[in-house]
Amino acid sequence: MTELPETQLLVIGGGSTGAGVAWDAARRGLHVTLVDRGDLATGTTGRFHGLLHSGGRYAVKDPGSARECAGENVILRRIAAGCIEDTGGLFVTTPADDPGYADRFLAGAAVAGMPVEEIPVAEALRREPLLNPRISRAIAVQDGSIDCWKTVWACVRGARAYGAQILPYHEVLSIRLEQGAVVGASLRDNVAGAVVEIRAQCILNAAGPWTGRIAKMAGCALGVIPGKGVMVAMNHRLVNTVINRCNMPGDGDIIVPAHTVCVIGTTDVPVDDPDQIAPTAAEVAKMMAAGEVLVPGFSRARALRAWAGARPLIPKGAAPAGEVRDTREVTRSHSVVKHAGVDGVEHFITITGGKFTTFRLMAEDAVDAVCADLKVSARCSTAEAPLPDSEDQRFFSLGSHQKEMEEHVGDDPLICECELVTRGALRSAASGRPGQQLDDLRRSLRLGMGPCQGGFCSFRAAGLLHHEGYYDRSQTNDALAAFVEERWRGQRMVLWGQQLRQYRLDSWIFQGILDLEHLPA
Amino acid sequence: MSELGLAAPGSVRASLDQCVKCTICESACPVMEVTDLFLGPKTLGPQAERFRTGDRSPDHSVDYCSSCGICTRVCPQGVRIAEINSQARAQLKVDQGSRFRDQLLARPDVMGRMARPVAPVFNWAMGSPVLRAAGQRVLGIHRSAPVPQATSRTFEYRLRRRPRRAAGQRIVFFYGCSTNYFEPRLGEMTIAVLEHNGFQVEVPRQGCCGLPLQSNGLYPAAREYVRRLTAQLSEGGLAGLDVVATSTSCGLMLKREAIEILGVEDRPVRELAARTYDLFEFLRDRHERGELRTDFVGVPLTVAYHAACQQQNQQIGKPALDILSLVPGLKVVELDRSCCGTAGTYGTKAEKYDIAMRVGAPLFADIQEARPDLVLCEGETCRWQISHATGLPTAHPVEILYKAYGGR
Amino acid sequence: MKTEVLMIGAGTSGLCAAVRLAEAGVKVIVIATGAGSLGLAPATLDILGYAPELVLDPMGALPAFVSEHPEHPYALVGLERLRSAVAWFQATAAELGYQGGLERNRLLSTALGGLRPSALLPDSMTAGAMASGRRVLIASIRGFRDFYPQLVAENLASSEMGVDASWVELDWSGDATDLVPTRLWRQLREPAVRHQLASMLRPSMDGVEAVGLPAILGRTESQAVRHDLEEQLGRPVFEIPTLPPSLPGLRLFDLLRGALRRAGGRLILGSTAAEFRADGRRVLAVRASEENRHDEYEAGAFVLATGGMGAGGIEVDASRQAREPVFDLPLSGVPGEAEDWVDTEYFREQPFDRAGVRVDGSMRPVDAAGEAIFDNLFVVGAELAGAEPWREKSGEGISLVTALRAAEAILEEGR
Repeated sequence: MTELPETQLLVIGGGSTGAGVAWDAARRGLHVTLVDRGDLATGTTGRFHGLLHSGGRYAVKDPGSARECAGENVILRRIAAGCIEDTGGLFVTTPADDPGYADRFLAGAAVAGMPVEEIPVAEALRREPLLNPRISRAIAVQDGSIDCWKTVWACVRGARAYGAQILPYHEVLSIRLEQGAVVGASLRDNVAGAVVEIRAQCILNAAGPWTGRIAKMAGCALGVIPGKGVMVAMNHRLVNTVINRCNMPGDGDIIVPAHTVCVIGTTDVPVDDPDQIAPTAAEVAKMMAAGEVLVPGFSRARALRAWAGARPLIPKGAAPAGEVRDTREVTRSHSVVKHAGVDGVEHFITITGGKFTTFRLMAEDAVDAVCADLKVSARCSTAEAPLPDSEDQRFFSLGSHQKEMEEHVGDDPLICECELVTRGALRSAASGRPGQQLDDLRRSLRLGMGPCQGGFCSFRAAGLLHHEGYYDRSQTNDALAAFVEERWRGQRMVLWGQQLRQYRLDSWIFQGILDLEHLPA
Repeated sequence: MSELGLAAPGSVRASLDQCVKCTICESACPVMEVTDLFLGPKTLGPQAERFRTGDRSPDHSVDYCSSCGICTRVCPQGVRIAEINSQARAQLKVDQGSRFRDQLLARPDVMGRMARPVAPVFNWAMGSPVLRAAGQRVLGIHRSAPVPQATSRTFEYRLRRRPRRAAGQRIVFFYGCSTNYFEPRLGEMTIAVLEHNGFQVEVPRQGCCGLPLQSNGLYPAAREYVRRLTAQLSEGGLAGLDVVATSTSCGLMLKREAIEILGVEDRPVRELAARTYDLFEFLRDRHERGELRTDFVGVPLTVAYHAACQQQNQQIGKPALDILSLVPGLKVVELDRSCCGTAGTYGTKAEKYDIAMRVGAPLFADIQEARPDLVLCEGETCRWQISHATGLPTAHPVEILYKAYGGR
Repeated sequence: MKTEVLMIGAGTSGLCAAVRLAEAGVKVIVIATGAGSLGLAPATLDILGYAPELVLDPMGALPAFVSEHPEHPYALVGLERLRSAVAWFQATAAELGYQGGLERNRLLSTALGGLRPSALLPDSMTAGAMASGRRVLIASIRGFRDFYPQLVAENLASSEMGVDASWVELDWSGDATDLVPTRLWRQLREPAVRHQLASMLRPSMDGVEAVGLPAILGRTESQAVRHDLEEQLGRPVFEIPTLPPSLPGLRLFDLLRGALRRAGGRLILGSTAAEFRADGRRVLAVRASEENRHDEYEAGAFVLATGGMGAGGIEVDASRQAREPVFDLPLSGVPGEAEDWVDTEYFREQPFDRAGVRVDGSMRPVDAAGEAIFDNLFVVGAELAGAEPWREKSGEGISLVTALRAAEAILEEGR
């Protein structure tokens, strides 16, 4: 049985929280090992719309959360600028919204210290010509669009620079306890297939909607409910600003521009199993109808992909005992659970709830608890430290991709044309993490995430990776087939209109021209 | 979104959603085939639009699009590719400004008016290698680019002295700048042909349709021009009359492009579009109803016919061929190449002339092989380009009809 | 505009039917949204490749196949017409030298190095028919992103058939920007470029029987380009089709377009059929949609060759309502509920795959009772119900045989 080096802190879960914890803890001098059963950011973090919250959504319902978001929004803009597109946001009152909400919104924003500015409707329509012309009010907020993969990988690269060990595709099979304390875990390397052991002085459970499952492995009960949220990406940016319904939070009340697409979301349905969350046709239809309220003609635009994420919900009003409360009495939307107090299991801590925008703060709270547990005295410094590749504090700009492509396409041709992924970028990403699946590369490069959904670029990418020696022949064949299956999963529920035509062309390519089904084993 | 506000659903930009990346447009693009300065219609059109967020244009090579429109025509999914490119170019001009040269070339009516009083001098200057070389250096107009001959006796001038038929079904003749300032005989022949067929031809005062402004990305001025022309062709008792155009480029502008590309939604412009016809489209309709006079004399010539891009973009087939097939003694060779290369003012520009000549090379070779007496084409800049490249005389097909009706 | 037959669609079926009719002296106008699908497909004439197992003898396998699939276009047209259809195609496309037959599928290398069955191949591909023990060299130009010779060779060598495949990448000195397919085709027409490539290939020729290249050997003059390389190498050269743009497909498109034009037919691209006018069971005219213009085409007979779901011949909206947009013809094979449209896995027949227009044996669309809806309307090609051409490898065969059947039906009617 292979034993990995002993670690001070084993973090379970490679989403934004886990990555943020690795970054924070490593900076505080802790030896950190981060594990995830799959690639990083494939859980909740990789499945949401990419909203950098202004806090607006909570301005009326929960000004404490709004304040928290507004504060972290400013911090993230400072430390993760390269991951953020400064789109701005609008809260608009549509004919379907409560006309009185806007004033309550403004009042709540003031209480929460959230920067807002009401603008004339004509100005909102000038900025966003496709917006519903019948809106009656428009309030500008500091929403943005954040790239969750970039952010997670930046945290993780930063953590590595401080000595952290990052292990994607390492699944926790069991947690080992000795005399009422966690001492380590058994992990399965899902790529090599081997089981490895690791000893840890403290384990932090940051597994999002799976935190309940992990907690159970340590003999602890945790009432986290996975909440399913469906999202639909539209083929192009119908809006360039985040657009929110100025109303009590509800389904499908936000459209977020994210890179080349815009995403409408979402729903909130409790489910038992966070791994069984495929969107249904009815849910997708609901999102299309919701989009229509904000952007007339939305349901006639091309839907590219539908998927769901499961967020970790703490049951309302049931704050688990042992939750950290800070002395300022600000309501946190996340919880740190010290299981030593709740379940009698030492050195096991869970961080759960929250949202992407507050991941840094969640990590800060979690690592504070870890440090207390390990009797290490070190303060958080992540609010001031720019993440790798955000040092120049320049926001991401979509047009810059096009500009770079035009300048360099002669030397560095495109492999994925839809998303402007070059051969050089593919090579670099592949060599940076040997043994990756095509899907892992997709996440970091956006390969196959454009209109053709891999119709053209899957073949090119697979061929190139084989050519460069990353895959052998049979790995290449398998990788291509697996990639095609994965792209199919997101398109199944949007097979109408133009995406259906795309799918048919792609069938001709994969089955007609390439005959993928009949390759030698 | 762009300043031009052209983002509405059902719009040209929205058609980018129809792109399935099939590359058929790129396999048909005559410019991309001959130069790497143009990255291709798909790459710079529907693909690039997903990266253009309404801030400053991130890219420039779309300026090398010639607006021949072949991409849109061959797209099996109906993406308005050339139109998307045209609008991207207009946005580029808004962001980066436009050269004096483009402002000048975009106004053939202005150039024609300036040349008219000094026509012999103008023509001499255009033929002077020294002055043309200077013109290339200073203005950026290629020294070898074909330039038509100016005349002081414009079409408008000749009209005033020409008695016209005052009976018969009234139609409006939209003759276009090039007829007026450079090829007035064409206008005269057209009137003669129409009158021979029993029409009373109304020829109101009229200006430029704005197409060169549009293709140079100067949209606000283009819109002004087209609105003005619409009024000229519709007012004073002309409302509701069919309008007949000899220039296939100008005709397409009124039929479709002003609305689709410039986004001009005015009712008069839409109404005018619904009643504008290409001359030979109009004549063929008459012929299908048995109303075209076929009292032709023989025209013993061998002619080659090239359908200009803008003619093909009208989706009317090749009515000139249908009509010319009725003329006894005439041997017609149908040329089957996509583009002569000049694409309006594109080929006159110093940085684009060579591209234009390479684009047209297969057409010129086919013409030489056919050895016609005359090359026929409804696009005026195409005629000048073809003459320039092959040394052969060119004409609008209406000239054959005029001869066939006994005209001299 | 008036004509005798209006063809709607310029794909394989539309153009084949149009050429057949025009060459018989019928006045034909073809209108189409764009240049159809020929530029996307490998342009081999595939009759039947998988049923669902590999088919080596299409003519032998077809009787069982059509009895299992009575709704399939092959079943409706009748197998006896297949042979004459293929013969017509070979004669019409003689310039491209289609060879092969209905009794034996050739196995061609795909751009991945798998083996794809096909009945008739253009002569640019005939030397690529694989057999046990063949020794081939798979070559490409380094940097050409749509072809990976090493992968092709390795997969070929691993096939059950046992092909002895080697590979080489040529460091051609041309501009990197010329590696875009449309520019590369042009480059290959230059003798100097071919000379350079041939000299780079020569060192790898030992023991090699034939050389496979991606399909880049010139859009025009393709025979000359290939023969020149063959002469210089002393070996047959064959093309391997890859991602669109498909050069072999475009050559076929150019050929059919030229044949149509020479026979007096007219092709109007950029014209999308939208509405029709009928008098009882006779269609009188079809209108094309265009901003502000309503051009009408009057004809004696109409053929709908609009390509099915992939090409807009069948439109499906967000609620999964499917519609044939020109004549509103009834469709079969369309699942009811959105959830029922799709399987969980990709590489399976999807419930909607065989959706399309139902026709009778003369290619006339029929209603639920099986009665022809119009006397002078015919539907051909991928618009038809009952087939899964991309999996069966039957696309061109269906397009060809249904197109010619409709043309014959029209000729029989005396228009």
